[in-house]
Amino acid sequence: MRPLIVPGILSVFSVVVIYLALQLKLSPPMIVGHSMQPRSFPIFLMVINLILIGILAWECKRNPPKPIELEGITTWISISVFAAFYFLTTYADFFIAIAVSMFVLSTSWGEKRRHVAVLISVTVPLTLFLLFDEVLKIRFPRGLITNWYYG
Amino acid sequence: MLEAVSAMASVMGDPYLLGLITITTILGIIIGVLPGLGATTGAALLLPFTLTMDPVHAIAVLATLYVSATFAGSITAILINTPGTSAAAATTFDGFPLAQRGEAGRALGVAVVASTIGGIFSILVLCIAAPMLAKVAYEFRPPEYFALTIFGLSMLASVGAGGAVKNLIGGIFGVWLATIGAERVTSIERFMFGNYELYEGLSFVPVMIGLFAISELLVQSKHAHRVADMVTLKAVKLPTREDYKRIWKTIARSSGIGTFIGILPAEGATVASMIGYSEARRWSKNREEFGKGSVEGIAGAEAANNAATGGAMVPTMVLGIPGSGTTAIILVGLMVHGLRPGPYLFTEQIESVYQIFGSMLVANVIFLVMGLYAAKLFARISLIPTAILWPIVFALSVIGAYALSASLLDVWIALIFGVVGFFARRHGFSVAPIAVGLILGHMVEVNLQNSLKMFDGAWWMILTQPLALLFLVLAFLGLFGSQIVKLITRKGRAS
Repeated sequence: MRPLIVPGILSVFSVVVIYLALQLKLSPPMIVGHSMQPRSFPIFLMVINLILIGILAWECKRNPPKPIELEGITTWISISVFAAFYFLTTYADFFIAIAVSMFVLSTSWGEKRRHVAVLISVTVPLTLFLLFDEVLKIRFPRGLITNWYYG
Repeated sequence: MLEAVSAMASVMGDPYLLGLITITTILGIIIGVLPGLGATTGAALLLPFTLTMDPVHAIAVLATLYVSATFAGSITAILINTPGTSAAAATTFDGFPLAQRGEAGRALGVAVVASTIGGIFSILVLCIAAPMLAKVAYEFRPPEYFALTIFGLSMLASVGAGGAVKNLIGGIFGVWLATIGAERVTSIERFMFGNYELYEGLSFVPVMIGLFAISELLVQSKHAHRVADMVTLKAVKLPTREDYKRIWKTIARSSGIGTFIGILPAEGATVASMIGYSEARRWSKNREEFGKGSVEGIAGAEAANNAATGGAMVPTMVLGIPGSGTTAIILVGLMVHGLRPGPYLFTEQIESVYQIFGSMLVANVIFLVMGLYAAKLFARISLIPTAILWPIVFALSVIGAYALSASLLDVWIALIFGVVGFFARRHGFSVAPIAVGLILGHMVEVNLQNSLKMFDGAWWMILTQPLALLFLVLAFLGLFGSQIVKLITRKGRAS
């Protein structure tokens, strides 16, 4: 059963896409002419995908893939950092979020020298901010630090 | 021809461009020696920094990074038995054993010379073949383009690490991603879920950053505490006359193989180096040395992988079909900078095109010098702790994703595709087909729509166009050729 998990997830995804595509509006024939309705192409793609998934499932059943080890704690922390980054950017500041994420990533990946992790987490975002803001003239989203900087 | 030579030579007269090429070559070598980064991730991270540059300079920077990072993968392959890029995997077979015997300098010398010759050869082929192919492609109409993109997608079956079926599923997922946004003819919104920032479709840059850089970050998190051993290196020596006698035929053969494989849509440097290596072994008089430190093995792999870089630029620039993950990003760079990839590039912007080729040529010469004199220094960079390197990659990724359209949505897209790419890779799917599918997706749908309009909805009329039929037959053979041969052989044996 386990080898069929991936084909199963992919099949559900394809069926959901087909369902969503079927909900799309139909365009009047005078606009579409002899061409396709906007829903046709995604449905066509997902039908091909389902055929390929069938072949994949057959392959997986014939030669079951080796079981995959669960991710280590570092990987899960890294993924959690992405989620924390979203909330920090939304409710605090883009650059505070980057600095905090870098620090957590660095320490969780094994950097024992806290001062090095702090130094990297502060100097890299700061350098990139100055480069993009001063040289490339890109304005960053408003937040605690950028509000203070932009005035 | 004179025009081409003068445009290429103009690179030497542009100190700003020369400076950019030199800095990017150094950066490319650094990126190439850092295990896990590589040309594709490096190009994805560098792309946002090119936004304010002149289009020619921007593409020259990306192309330079491509050639230098592809070469640099060999430095760590030889010194620490860890290919900096997947294209250098074949170099470890003989490079590391030679280094362990105390001949690391000789191994690097052979690698750098073979890479330079392979690279320069492929750029010369690019200069000659690209305009000729552009003349043919100029005649292409929607049915031919549709069939060509189908051929490109069929070639995805062999790109990247996944099996054929997994790669095709990835490619189709990529094509589907291209349907997100307002449909071109009717403006009907597809899969936008009310988010109007997606009206123009998914931006390529954040998806590329997510698929290549952020997913790689998560992959590397599994090796967070890895420490590499480095073989000591005294100096890089040029190959001796004896070495040259042994490797010149191998370099010539692998340069040709690499260029040809690079030209094939969706094939890249990794496939080229493997075939270059196996052909070097097949034709060698000293086959027993392979795997134990053969200079021919190193030359075969290195000449081929660097030759593939020039070759891969042919379909990218002439047809708008990327030859590898990195060229997919270069193609995005062309689009972002308003250079329309395709045959028109060779009539409207011919001087710019040759300046880009000239930059690649100069980059090959610069990395020859760097490889010979600074390989030891670059190899040390590969020992930067991952706990420092990857948080920096994270910062570059999120700022780079934001920079293109100053949109936080792009940052979330990059992070989501990073996680999707990571889980896809864990289950044996390569992310390169998704990226290539996303780029080709728009071309496939638009050319199918236009073909249907041309033939009043009679899709089978596409098969009556000789060139379109040829591409479709090639696509069919690419997908099912080996199975058909197997079936015929089995039937032959049975009878």
